[in-house]
Amino acid sequence: MKLVTAVVKPFKLDEVKVALTRLGISGMTVTQARGFGRQGGHIEIYRGREYEFDFVDKIRIDVACTDEQVEAVLDAIVAAAHTGSVGDGKAWVTSIEKVVRVRTNERGPEAL
Amino acid sequence: MLAANIPYPSWLNPADNTWQLVAATLVGLMSLPGIAVLYGGLVRKKWIVNTMLMTFTGFSLTLIVWMLWGYNLAFGPAAHLGPTGSFWANFIGHFTPLSTAGAEQGQAVSGANTLIPFHFPTATLAYFQFVFAAITPLLFLGALVGRLKFKAWLLIVPLWITLIYAVNAKLLWGGGFFALKGAVDYSGGYVIHLSAGVAAFVGAAIVGPRRWQDRENAFPSNLMMVAIGMGILWLGWNGFNGGDPFYAGADAAAAVLNTNVATAVGVVAWLVMDMLFSDQKKPTFLGALNGMLCGLVAITPSAGWVNGVGAMLVGLIAASVVWVAWNYLSKVRPFSKVDDAMGVVYTHGIAGLLGGLLVGFLADPAMTEYGVAGSHFKGVGQFSVGGWFYTHSFHQLWEQFLAALWIIGYTAIGTAAIFWFVKVVLRGLRESDEVLSLGDIAIHEEEAFPEPIFGEPLLTPSHLHSDNV
Repeated sequence: MKLVTAVVKPFKLDEVKVALTRLGISGMTVTQARGFGRQGGHIEIYRGREYEFDFVDKIRIDVACTDEQVEAVLDAIVAAAHTGSVGDGKAWVTSIEKVVRVRTNERGPEAL
Repeated sequence: MLAANIPYPSWLNPADNTWQLVAATLVGLMSLPGIAVLYGGLVRKKWIVNTMLMTFTGFSLTLIVWMLWGYNLAFGPAAHLGPTGSFWANFIGHFTPLSTAGAEQGQAVSGANTLIPFHFPTATLAYFQFVFAAITPLLFLGALVGRLKFKAWLLIVPLWITLIYAVNAKLLWGGGFFALKGAVDYSGGYVIHLSAGVAAFVGAAIVGPRRWQDRENAFPSNLMMVAIGMGILWLGWNGFNGGDPFYAGADAAAAVLNTNVATAVGVVAWLVMDMLFSDQKKPTFLGALNGMLCGLVAITPSAGWVNGVGAMLVGLIAASVVWVAWNYLSKVRPFSKVDDAMGVVYTHGIAGLLGGLLVGFLADPAMTEYGVAGSHFKGVGQFSVGGWFYTHSFHQLWEQFLAALWIIGYTAIGTAAIFWFVKVVLRGLRESDEVLSLGDIAIHEEEAFPEPIFGEPLLTPSHLHSDNV
C-alpha cells in the first residue's frame, strides 16, 4: 500500500477530487496548508504599504491506495492540478506498513 | 395649565429633544462598537483585545470625568480668571459636577450664550457633548496601539479630557476667546480632529515606536471588521454633524447631506489617486476608506456653512492633499521618525486643519444656522459665515488660522506634559518587549479567538459536583 501526498493550488481541489473518485478512490484527507517552492511568496498592500507574505496558501491531499493504483493516482493528480505556471505543486509517494479501519478493525488493503 | 405641561415643560420641544438624543446615540455608536471593531480589524490579531478594551475604557472614563467636572468645565458658566473680554475671562468653566435634579432636567444652556436656551434639557446637551469628548481620545489611541501600557491609558484619558479637551471646547464652542473673535468649528474639525491628530503625533513620539517586528508585520487582522467600523463611522456622522445645529431644522438636514456628499467624493478621490499615482496603481479598499475618513473629517468644521458644491470641493481637496501627505510627507522628518500606528495625524490632523481653513474660503453666507443666539453668534435668530469666494475678504480665514494655531500649540504642549507626567508616575509608558511580543495574552490573559481544546474535555473539573456532570 502507498500513501500519495499532493500539495496543490487550492482552486484545483475539486478537479483532483473528481478525478480520484473516478479511479475508484473512496477517501482522502484534505488539509489547508501554507508553503513556498519556486513560486516564492507574494506581496499584499495595506494602507499604501507592501507586505511580503512568504508562504502561499495550498491544499495538501493525502490519499492511501494499493500499489497497483499508484501510477494512475499520480497521473490523475497531474492531469487535474496542472495549470502550467509555477506553483502547481508537488506530489510524492511513501510506503504504508499497515492500515486499519477503526470501525471494524479490518487490516490491510481491505481497510482502504 | 400645569397638567398641560406634563411631561413637556413649556420650553421643551419633543422633536428637538428626540433628534438630539438620537444624534448623540449615533455619535456614541461611532465609538462603541465603531472604533472598537475598526481598530480591532486594523491591528494584528495579537492586539485585538487590548485595543478594543482601550476604546471601551476610554469611553467609560470620559463619561465619569464628564459627569464629575468635564461638562461644566467645557460648557458650564465661565470661571472668570481674568477681566471681562480678556483671553482668560472665558478660558474654562467651574469644577462642578452634574449632580442635581435641576442640573439634569432643567433647560439646557450652553456656556456664555445665554440669550436663547435650547429646547431640550441639560441632560440631553451633556450627553450629546459627552459622545464628542469620548471619541477624541479614542482617535489618538490609533497612533499609540501596540505598545502603550494599559495603566498609562487609564491615566491619560481623564487628564487629557480635563486639561486639553475641556479647554479647547470652551474656547471654540463654550463662548470662549476664539468663539468671541469669530472663529467657527461646526462639529469639531479643530476641537476633535485637529486636536486628536496633534495629540496622536506628540503622544506617539513620546511613547516611542512599536517593536520593529510589529511595524514590519503591521498588516490588518480583519477587513470585514474594518468595513463594519467604517460604515458605522460614516452613518454615525449624520449625528455628529446633523446634531450640531441643536435644532431639528433645515440646517441639520443640509449638514447631513453635505457631510455625505463630501465623504462620497473623498472615497472616489482617494481611489482615483491610488489607481493613477500609487506605486502599485491598484485600487485598494483601505485606501478608499482613508479617503472616506478625509471627507468626513474635513466637512466637520463646515458641514452647515458650505453649500453642496462647497461640500464636494471639501471632500476632493481633503482626500487629495491627505493622499499626498500620506504617501510623501510621511517619508520626511519628523513624520518619518514618529510611529503613528494608524496615521491619525494625516486622516484627522491634516484633514481637520484643511477643513477648518476651507471654511475661510468656501463658507456660503446664504447657508444659515437657525435658532442659535448669544454673544458668539453675534445676535439672535440666525447666523451664517462668509468665506473668501463669497465675500472676497480673508477675515474668516484669518480667524480660522489663529484658532488652528492655538489648537496645535496648546494640544502639543499639553499632551507632551501629560504623557511625561504619566511616564514618571508609572516609570515608563511602554510594556516590556517580552510582553509586546505576545500581546493580548500577556497583558489580559485573553485572546480574540480563543480555542482552548479541539474536542470535548475528558476529565471532569474538580469544581463541578458529580450531580451536575
